[in-house]
Amino acid sequence: MLRKKRSLGASIPSSSMADIAFLLLIFFLVATVIDVDTGIGMTLPEITDEPPPPVSKDRMAAVLINENNDVLLDGKPISLFQIKSTLKPRIVSKIELPKKKKLIVSLKTDRKTVYNAYISALDQIKMAFFEVRDEYSNSRFGMKYNDLSDEARKEVKNAIPIIISLAEPEAVK
Amino acid sequence: MKFEKKRASVKQEIPTASMPDIIFMLLLFFMVTTTMREVELLVDYKLPDAEALEKIENKRLVSYIWVGKSGKIQIDDSIVQIDNIRTIMYGKAQELPSIIVSLRVDVGGRMGLVTDIQQELRKAFCLRINYSANIKI
Repeated sequence: MLRKKRSLGASIPSSSMADIAFLLLIFFLVATVIDVDTGIGMTLPEITDEPPPPVSKDRMAAVLINENNDVLLDGKPISLFQIKSTLKPRIVSKIELPKKKKLIVSLKTDRKTVYNAYISALDQIKMAFFEVRDEYSNSRFGMKYNDLSDEARKEVKNAIPIIISLAEPEAVK
Repeated sequence: MKFEKKRASVKQEIPTASMPDIIFMLLLFFMVTTTMREVELLVDYKLPDAEALEKIENKRLVSYIWVGKSGKIQIDDSIVQIDNIRTIMYGKAQELPSIIVSLRVDVGGRMGLVTDIQQELRKAFCLRINYSANIKI
């Protein structure tokens, strides 16, 4: 008697594939860090032996912070959070001037100044520049600076360049 | 009289055959976006808050320097002395010319130390820096 052999379906069981994939998924979910690095970007000057070129006084806005976190802007004592409102009109007044006459903000600290105060001051200065840029592009192009096209952005950048000079600290009294 | 419940002849199952594919798709997404934590922090620090923040678009360019509450400086996996920063960072800048150095300094740190680090970075030709800060809410 001959019995016909039943053909066995040769397949890999795939019912547990979803479970395996889930396991991997959970691992990567846990291991993922989606944090974007945010911070205040700056560019340090190169080291040169040449003395810095002389700058006329009306171009400069000197911000000094001493060890007690007191702020002096061009010799006048102000609070840390007034820096932005004090700088903004000065930046605006120099928009029309040629490139060599734009405002330079110099930030100088004491060696004992707390880092937090320094960052707050830098933040205020940057905010002043950003807000002026926003207002300028709003009046010219009717858009915020971030929504502008590359060319328009370049134009605004040329009109309002962010020039911040980080002076080396000395004992500010 | 016998009551018979009428049943719809339509299948009532959710097709699960494509589930693994969907899961794999999610899996691939997370695999691609994952950046593993590479360094173990040896210093204790709290970042300052700020508003005028910029995002660092290209994470591969970033190299971190941590400065802790006690003034310890960490680069990569070890605590370093301030005199060594120049050689370490110079080597990194050679490998990656457009390197961005992200300074993660504790809020209570002193500017003297930060300036010293900046001076070393200038000597090492790492001129692009970024003061890491959290978004002020």
